[in-house]
Amino acid sequence: MGPPGVKIMKRYVIIAILLAALPALCWGATAATKETIGVIRNSSGTVSVTRGEQVLPAVSGTKLLAEDVLDTGRDGSAGIILRDNSSLSIGPDSRLVLEKFLFAPVEGRFALLVRVSRGTMAYISGLIGKLSPGSARFETPVATIGIRGTKFAVKVDD
Amino acid sequence: MISGGRFTDRPGRKLFQASCLFLLLLAASCATVPPAPAKPRGTFILLPDDQGKTGAIVVLNAQGETLLSKPRETLTIDAAGRPGKPFQMSDKDVDARVGAARYALPEPPVRVIFYFKYDSDELTDESRAKLPEVLRSIRERGPVDISVVGHTDTMGEKDYNYKLSFRRAQAVAKLLTAQGVAAAILDITSHGKDNPLIPTGNQVPEPRNRRVEVTVR
Repeated sequence: MGPPGVKIMKRYVIIAILLAALPALCWGATAATKETIGVIRNSSGTVSVTRGEQVLPAVSGTKLLAEDVLDTGRDGSAGIILRDNSSLSIGPDSRLVLEKFLFAPVEGRFALLVRVSRGTMAYISGLIGKLSPGSARFETPVATIGIRGTKFAVKVDD
Repeated sequence: MISGGRFTDRPGRKLFQASCLFLLLLAASCATVPPAPAKPRGTFILLPDDQGKTGAIVVLNAQGETLLSKPRETLTIDAAGRPGKPFQMSDKDVDARVGAARYALPEPPVRVIFYFKYDSDELTDESRAKLPEVLRSIRERGPVDISVVGHTDTMGEKDYNYKLSFRRAQAVAKLLTAQGVAAAILDITSHGKDNPLIPTGNQVPEPRNRRVEVTVR
């Protein structure tokens, strides 16, 4: 290890991704090129992560990617931490879609777009809320939420 | 009730009361509302954070924009998309409505800062002593996601500092992996002088900015 510099390292990274993408293309999987955006910290009852065609059990430690969909059953709840240190959780009979997540403070690029399709969600803002609150948005079937650095909860009844 | 039997199988009475409150508010503000079909409705509650501080949110749809800025200030939106008048919900009612989600919020991440000697990827002695603290939180929290982010003070050139802070991050990563932490759960990045902990002008030596921040999620 010990690449001589970050610029060169970035080149390594790009090469690594291409190499990783080759077998991925053969297997028809695209997940290999996606970055981890967060992790499931706790889950109880029925909780699942849907990633494209795959449905994964959502257990503590499950890494999350952009576009992952979290679903809970009647007895389910789960808590996750995103890479900007924000926390999100969902209660029973809920669906949450992690539509977009971008946390690149060096380049000053941020995005957080979460869709709460049904059920309940709570959120505590992290660094995106601190550095670029305008980049964070939560969509529900009835309204959109913008944040000013904060904790809040939502309930969608359908 | 608007959504019929759906409430009867939910954790009960408080939610029912909260819904009544919602309906009463609705009736008071617009008496001529026709009975709405079972379209989604929403409840938006601003909460104080764990330090007791309350931020603000803006709830926006085609029918208006509402700023919530007080502890437990709540906005309901009815099935026709109409926002009600914001009100302060009691803590009990908050729990009745969103308690399961509220208490499923994970413990905040643990952040430990390691400091370095000037222009070096060598840890200060005090910082070296913090390693057990990180290892302990990794053990306690179970499977984790760990960020290792290197920083410098503002002395020297930008490119040089990216390299220096990357070396610092790698030095900490090495200490962790030597203690059995899986390299796969480490996310190593370098911020150079772009993200000082203590804001200074350019070309200012500041020991508190020569650091690696380890975040255990």
